[in-house]
Amino acid sequence: MVEAAEQSFKTDHGFTTDFWATNAARKSWDDIVPGEPRATIPYTLTLEAIQRYCRSVGDLHPLYFDEQYAAASKYGGLIAPPSIHILLMFACTPADDWMRSPGTINAGQSWTYNVPARPGDEIRLEARALDKFIRKGRLFVVHDNVFFNQNSEVICAGRGQTIRPS
Amino acid sequence: MNPTLPAIGDVIDGAPFEVSRESIRDFCDGSLDYNPLHWDDEYMKGAFGKTQFNGIIMHGMNNFGIISRMLTDWAYERGATSRRIETRWKAPVYPGDTIVPRGTVRDLTPTRDGVWVSIDVQVTNQNGEAVAVGEALVECLPESTPG
Repeated sequence: MVEAAEQSFKTDHGFTTDFWATNAARKSWDDIVPGEPRATIPYTLTLEAIQRYCRSVGDLHPLYFDEQYAAASKYGGLIAPPSIHILLMFACTPADDWMRSPGTINAGQSWTYNVPARPGDEIRLEARALDKFIRKGRLFVVHDNVFFNQNSEVICAGRGQTIRPS
Repeated sequence: MNPTLPAIGDVIDGAPFEVSRESIRDFCDGSLDYNPLHWDDEYMKGAFGKTQFNGIIMHGMNNFGIISRMLTDWAYERGATSRRIETRWKAPVYPGDTIVPRGTVRDLTPTRDGVWVSIDVQVTNQNGEAVAVGEALVECLPESTPG
């Protein structure tokens, strides 16, 4: 299952969009062990993927679209917007990851940014659940995530809370 | 003080974002988040985490994305860098809603390397209801530091 997911990650179009397909293999709230690393897979960030994300939030800044403009900027070339981690979170995890459990509700997020991601970057994710708790009868998980580029520079680090389907 | 630094109380207006089934689907494609909460009407007749949404909802991270855009548009003009965003979701966003992010400069803190601007952020819908709230930090570069 993981092998198939890794293969499908080679192209964005091959991404497993059916979140039901591997649902039986996913960890439930009961199975999640805080502190245990999650399985992740490397992902090559393409300009196409960056720009598709940008368009989806209506962000057409020339730093993401205009090579000449970006080359003359302090970044020296095209970059991804900071919030590209929204894409990377799914791109860097296998299809049976528990973040894709149907019914997962995002309760809030905090992210800090270091160096920008760039087209062609080989992105690596280190991720784990950090805590799990129950509040008002809802099953929460706290997860933390750090994205690195091919030079092992931190792109961004973030923490989020999701309500798990019971 | 360098004119590129903001003042406490300055308001940052972000671009309005019109939410539709198509925009939500575009965000599925943009983020690779195909959770059925965002496209499956049948599935959304159920209850989730003790909540009943009564229809598909926009991704919470779409809010995050438009907050981030507001901050980078503002920061890039100053040669500054968006360094942190923290958010909580307050209410679901549905197709047909129009949401708009806004920031208010709360504080300026000089550090060894620059000046960090604390910003209260929120996203409201067309009824003035807050759908997301949070805070952000933007770092102004050394040339922007006072004195």
